[in-house]
Amino acid sequence: MTMFDVTKPETAVDQTDIKIAASNVQVFYGDTQAIKDVDVDIQDKTVTAFIGPSGCGKSTFLRCLNRMNDTIDSCRVEGRILLDEQDIYAPQVDPVQLRAKVGMVFQKPNPFPKSIYDNVAYGPKIHGMARTKGELDEVVEKSLRRAALWEEVKDRLDTPGTGLSGGQQQRLCIARAVATRPEVLLMDEPCSALDPIATAQVEELIDELKQRFSVVIVTHSMQQAARVSQKTAFFHLGNLVEYDDTNTIFTNPQDPRTESYITGRIG
Amino acid sequence: MTLLAFVILLTAVTVGYVINLRAARAIRDGGTRMHSLESFHGGYAALMTLVPTFFLIIIWMLFQGTVIELIVKSGISDQLEGLGTGETQLVMAEIRSIAGGRIFGTPEQWKLDAAERLVALRGLSGWLLVAVTAALATTMLYVSRRTVSSEFRARQGVERIVHVLMAGCATVAIFVTIGIVASLLFETFRFFQMVPFWDFLLGTNWEPQIPIREDQVAAEGAFGMLPVFLGTLVIAFVAMVIATPIGLLSAIYLHEFASNRIRGVVKPVLEVLAGVPTVVYGFFAILVIAPAIRSFGTDLGLPIASNTALAAGSVMGIMLIPFISSFADDALGAVPRSLRDGSLAVGATQAETMLKVLFPAAIPGIVGGILLAISRAIGETMIVVMAAGLIAKMTINPLDSVTTVTVQIVTLLIGDTAFDSPKTLAAFALGMVLFLMTLCINILALRIVRKYREIYD
Repeated sequence: MTMFDVTKPETAVDQTDIKIAASNVQVFYGDTQAIKDVDVDIQDKTVTAFIGPSGCGKSTFLRCLNRMNDTIDSCRVEGRILLDEQDIYAPQVDPVQLRAKVGMVFQKPNPFPKSIYDNVAYGPKIHGMARTKGELDEVVEKSLRRAALWEEVKDRLDTPGTGLSGGQQQRLCIARAVATRPEVLLMDEPCSALDPIATAQVEELIDELKQRFSVVIVTHSMQQAARVSQKTAFFHLGNLVEYDDTNTIFTNPQDPRTESYITGRIG
Repeated sequence: MTLLAFVILLTAVTVGYVINLRAARAIRDGGTRMHSLESFHGGYAALMTLVPTFFLIIIWMLFQGTVIELIVKSGISDQLEGLGTGETQLVMAEIRSIAGGRIFGTPEQWKLDAAERLVALRGLSGWLLVAVTAALATTMLYVSRRTVSSEFRARQGVERIVHVLMAGCATVAIFVTIGIVASLLFETFRFFQMVPFWDFLLGTNWEPQIPIREDQVAAEGAFGMLPVFLGTLVIAFVAMVIATPIGLLSAIYLHEFASNRIRGVVKPVLEVLAGVPTVVYGFFAILVIAPAIRSFGTDLGLPIASNTALAAGSVMGIMLIPFISSFADDALGAVPRSLRDGSLAVGATQAETMLKVLFPAAIPGIVGGILLAISRAIGETMIVVMAAGLIAKMTINPLDSVTTVTVQIVTLLIGDTAFDSPKTLAAFALGMVLFLMTLCINILALRIVRKYREIYD
């Protein structure tokens, strides 16, 4: 099998706009450099996977995209990251507004100690997205439906979100993230704390979410990257080694380091 | 002699450790696989010697005085016959002081003989203690040396002994508390034999001035605790009104908003505030706060007492600020970082995150801290002794002078006191009230913490 005769059905939809354009990004924690010279263009309505061994900087880079790194005192970001051609690190950009546009789901489900309803309504309430209770109810229902959780929780919206199972909690967090109507959804190893069945549900959900959002997912599991993503970026020691269509990365990697990683020799 | 006994004990412990260690090592070097490490064999011998011998010495020291006196008493039972308890105690005290070399006047010959006997018995007891200690230590050394073998489970043995010791330490606190409550109960019961229970509980008049001697001219006392109780509540309320908002807001600021540099300065300062002796706070109340309040009042044309509840309460509030702030800081710090990230990631500001996520999640700890602070405010003594009044008044006006339960306990027990007059025993009844109040608050604090935990976890 050569690189020319591989069929790539996903690349048929490849001609979409570029949602996020990162160029020359460097991240420092104090004096140590965690990310070196990363250039990535992330496409709209696509699932992009970041893979790589632990500590390679993939989560750090993900957290640059919604400026979550700002909350860490010692962290410094250099370079340019454009969201819809607007520099997100420009001084006039409010990180709070940015994070409403670029939602995030974390490694461990982190529902607030509030009711299921309040968890989902949290973002819309803060951003004044619903004027009446009826509108808010609608937003909550829509978000829960998008997160494929509505049918399971519709009769117990006022029970604590922390009482759900792990997989349900993670889908609740996804519902919370999509409730602010983001354009990009960042997922930091969203399935690493879930069992295989819950993982399958979340992966199915990611596939649906890409209809509306640009999804960026960090994952440890190469199988997961292969299953859910159309584009894959391989990080190693803070460098972006290779970035291409998922199929290409997994069947015909250009860089020897990528090949070593996906065949299990490093990592 | 006791010192010598302890020296013997320590030597035996060391020797036991070394002997067993060496014996175990010898077995191991012989090629046998040991169940426990050699140091456990050594430790087993040390503990087996230490624990029983140590307790023997302690028990000996506790009871030797009583036993010796009983023997002396039985020797002079003829002379003591017909004397009451008080007189017997007097005679024994005299014999003791003669034995100590302090002879007043010319005591009878039988007293001198008894004193001599006392001295001899004390010496004998000392030597006996040394002998018994040595014997017991040697026996235990022998017993533990016999146990050394490759199969002996010395580690489990050591763990069992340490386990029992730890359990003992844990129960000491409980038994001491029970003892304190029991003594308090006993005196309180005596008080209620003299003053009716309901008069104390619901009386609105607190005038504990009663004649101490038969011939003294004084008013008939009144022991209604309500005004004293009310005074305590007023001062504690003032203190909490000041301490709660300042403490909470400073904790929130330091935890979430302050830069590292400011935190590095303010936190140690708050901790210093927590270490200031309450007497110093008392000075501050008398010298600064009370005059300031009074001159402020005169400017407004209000008559204000010199020792207002406001002055004592506000200084107590200042004392409680670091207490509440450190509790709230701990509670906020215990909220997982993931919740904070989750809130920030949907685009909440720091303030919204604090108000809507971190603070609610930290509420159990914060409420617990506030209730403990109330307990402290109610039980605080020194500041109110210095800055609050002495006269019990039925008032909730913080600009008036009130007295507190603790102040009254102190004044009742100061000076010439007889332990069979209601005046003195009233102090114990008040102490009981104080104890019950703080107990209720602490139970409430625990219940609130537990209830919120069930909801939030």
